[in-house]
Amino acid sequence: MNTILLLNGLVGGVIFGAIYALIGCSLNVLCGVLRVVNFAHGEFIIAGSFLSYVLLTLFGLHPILSLPIVTIAFFLIGFGLYYLLIPRLAKSDEPETSSFLLMFGVSLMMIAAMMWIFEADIRAVEFSFDPINVSLLVIQDAYGEGRDGRVIVPTARLVALGINALLIIVLTYFLYRTLTGKAIRAAIMNREAIQIVGINIHSLSASAFGLAAALAGITGVVLAFVVPSIDPNGGQDISLIGFIIIVLGGLGHPVGALIAGILFGLVEQIATVFLPQAAAQMLGFIILITVIFVRPQGLMGRMTLR
Amino acid sequence: MAKSGTIKPDDFSEEISAQRLKSSLWYTIITVLILSCFLVPLQDGNLSFMFSLMMWVTLATGINFIAGFTGYMPFGYVAFYGIGTYVTAILVKVLGVSEYLAVPAAGLSGILLALLFAPTLRLNGIFFAIVSLSLAVVCQRLMSLLPEEITGGSHGLNLGVATDRTHGYYAMLIIMFVALVSASWLGQSRLGKALKAIRDDPDAADAMGIHVSRVRLYAWIMSAFFAALAGGAQAWFTGALDPITAFDVLITAKTVIYAMAGGLGTIIGPVVGTVTLVWIDEIVWQQFPVLNNFLLGLIITLLILFMPRGVVGSLMQHFPHLRKYIM
Amino acid sequence: MIPKIVLQLKGLNKSFGGLLAVKNVDMLVNESSISGLIGINGAGKTTLMNCISGIYRADSGSLDIMGVSCLNWSPHDIARLGVGRTFQIPRIFKRINLIDNVMVPALNDNTDNKTLYERATECLDKVKLYDLRHNNAEELSGGQQKLLELARIMMFNPRIILLDEPFAGVNPTLCRLMIERIKELKEQGKSFLLVSHDLTSIYQLSDHIYVLNQGQVISEGNVDYVRNDPEVIEAYLGNA
Repeated sequence: MNTILLLNGLVGGVIFGAIYALIGCSLNVLCGVLRVVNFAHGEFIIAGSFLSYVLLTLFGLHPILSLPIVTIAFFLIGFGLYYLLIPRLAKSDEPETSSFLLMFGVSLMMIAAMMWIFEADIRAVEFSFDPINVSLLVIQDAYGEGRDGRVIVPTARLVALGINALLIIVLTYFLYRTLTGKAIRAAIMNREAIQIVGINIHSLSASAFGLAAALAGITGVVLAFVVPSIDPNGGQDISLIGFIIIVLGGLGHPVGALIAGILFGLVEQIATVFLPQAAAQMLGFIILITVIFVRPQGLMGRMTLR
Repeated sequence: MAKSGTIKPDDFSEEISAQRLKSSLWYTIITVLILSCFLVPLQDGNLSFMFSLMMWVTLATGINFIAGFTGYMPFGYVAFYGIGTYVTAILVKVLGVSEYLAVPAAGLSGILLALLFAPTLRLNGIFFAIVSLSLAVVCQRLMSLLPEEITGGSHGLNLGVATDRTHGYYAMLIIMFVALVSASWLGQSRLGKALKAIRDDPDAADAMGIHVSRVRLYAWIMSAFFAALAGGAQAWFTGALDPITAFDVLITAKTVIYAMAGGLGTIIGPVVGTVTLVWIDEIVWQQFPVLNNFLLGLIITLLILFMPRGVVGSLMQHFPHLRKYIM
Repeated sequence: MIPKIVLQLKGLNKSFGGLLAVKNVDMLVNESSISGLIGINGAGKTTLMNCISGIYRADSGSLDIMGVSCLNWSPHDIARLGVGRTFQIPRIFKRINLIDNVMVPALNDNTDNKTLYERATECLDKVKLYDLRHNNAEELSGGQQKLLELARIMMFNPRIILLDEPFAGVNPTLCRLMIERIKELKEQGKSFLLVSHDLTSIYQLSDHIYVLNQGQVISEGNVDYVRNDPEVIEAYLGNA
């Protein structure tokens, strides 16, 4: 019987892990290129969920079809938001800490706006796939002789995993094989040097902000496949998970975030199987704190503290 | 290039009288504040409002010790406040200790927690902020995990009629007074100067013989102490608490905003910022309950973008002659 | 009379990852003398300085200051042994005024406020920054910030002073003022380790010169010797 639970935990872990990986990745693009720690990232994601909800309820658009609209809308929002907020930030005494506070302000505004539009209720994005569930495998004699157990997964979650896997592949290709992607990685390593080489840091940063926002929007749509409902107040928890992922993976290290995200998802989901819920949630923070003290540069990162 | 100056013989006494001018202005402000807070219960004023005003002044002054004087932004500052409320409530409700002992004990618990979290001071900038925030969340979850007989689980504790509001109110007044006096002492002491040097450049301060980690720890402990005391007085005054509100990140956020709006790193700044914004908050709250958090967010955003040093800090930056009057 | 050794390095190594930044460096600084440390960019001059002042941890070797073995002590402990330093890019405390800036190294002293204040104003006066004493340090120009660092060192009053590129970006008038002050301090018995690109001032000031190339001491001796050492000329001009 434990095998079934464990397998369920593993499958859940991979599905949630892929989402966490995506959250960490987009957050890390911001951290690396802009030195901005986006406290409002969770709210961007929730806003993505809400946009797909609106498109579904008003126009009957299936969430998968709303993906391109969400992507473009969020890219433009992110692009504009960069010019509105970030260039001024460089003038403050401690840009990193200020960015944290600034984005906290943005997150408060976004929560309030979403509460105003959607009220405090939680909403479900109601659509379904056929069949609703997929049975992945059958374990013989799991509950004793002749009582086989099944590892059952909702189709929507599998679709979410598929979209995520695809996104991760595209993103990795983009960052490591295309010119813009390489420029973004170069900017993560050295912001000053890249300007000397003749790259306009502002338009690059704005694109990075747009990219991160678009990824957050997509994550929101995908998240709506996986969780039963969306809550305007849920952004903060998502942001916190995002922070855990980027610190685990290494600040400014996109691939590190991918690995850390999947690891974290696995640990969390397997822990929920065996521990009470509050304890399982705490586990993530305890891992975070341990990693920070033992290996401040993150599991994969090589960045020093100074 | 400045022309070769000559040192005036009475230079130091001039400096002393300049210091006196600064402190007399400051002491006028806190005397007015304390007197008006003192008189409210006698005149049947708005007790809850004045209580929260005093609490925010204490918290903003407390966070100034660490954020303003050393440049560390503790996003989990609420952890100390929360622990203070819980320690007070548990001592009063479960162990039957008098509030007069419970609140100082809460302050001590804040110091202990600060010592426990002290290793996080090794981290800088954003790492510190994230870890501090996570620690606050850990505390919150821990409180709801502990046995219900002690912390009341996720429902929290209710002290009911066991506590006297007016006494809690005056306890807060005393705590605020001690916090403000500590702040004025720090503003003029050598410790304060060392802390400001660390804020501006920790490596250089270290190379000049300042024991950076020890000095920073003092500020950290002071900060935590006042937050825990404020939490204790809050438990006394309201008589009820639960893990969600006691460890709400919004408490840290408001504290930071109030202190920052006035000017972190100055002594007057956090007080001015808090008094102004708490009044505005009160007015806005009554007019637009829905938009309250939106406006709060907007104020933070605008402050960071246009006035990162706060009202008092910006005034001092742009009008150097005002530095004579501001502590 | 044999001069007293105040600072001695033996076989010091420091690497960053695979890069050996300082290789087996031996060095002596005598009391009341100025030792120059020159070398092209990336030779390891600043790294060596950071190892001495405790900002970096050296991998191996030994460091004796005033006869105390103090390799890898923390910066403030090294400072309390009597080592003061300036930084390549001036590191001033920007949001406090000049008097408070200068006072920082003496905050632990057991003196009363009046003496402290008077000493601080004296130090500021010596570098001609007295008139600006109530300004915040961030309002100074780059050259004035270097002077402020020098005033801070004078207030500190250490036995050994490490100066990292003190003349970089300072105009000739201020430069002469600094050289004058450095000579004065040397007369008072201070010992200097002076890192600079500016060979003219190094040649003018130093009693002994070390030449660093790729982390190793390739030549040492008095000014005339180093000037004419073919290896030094090769290191400076050969790669050009």
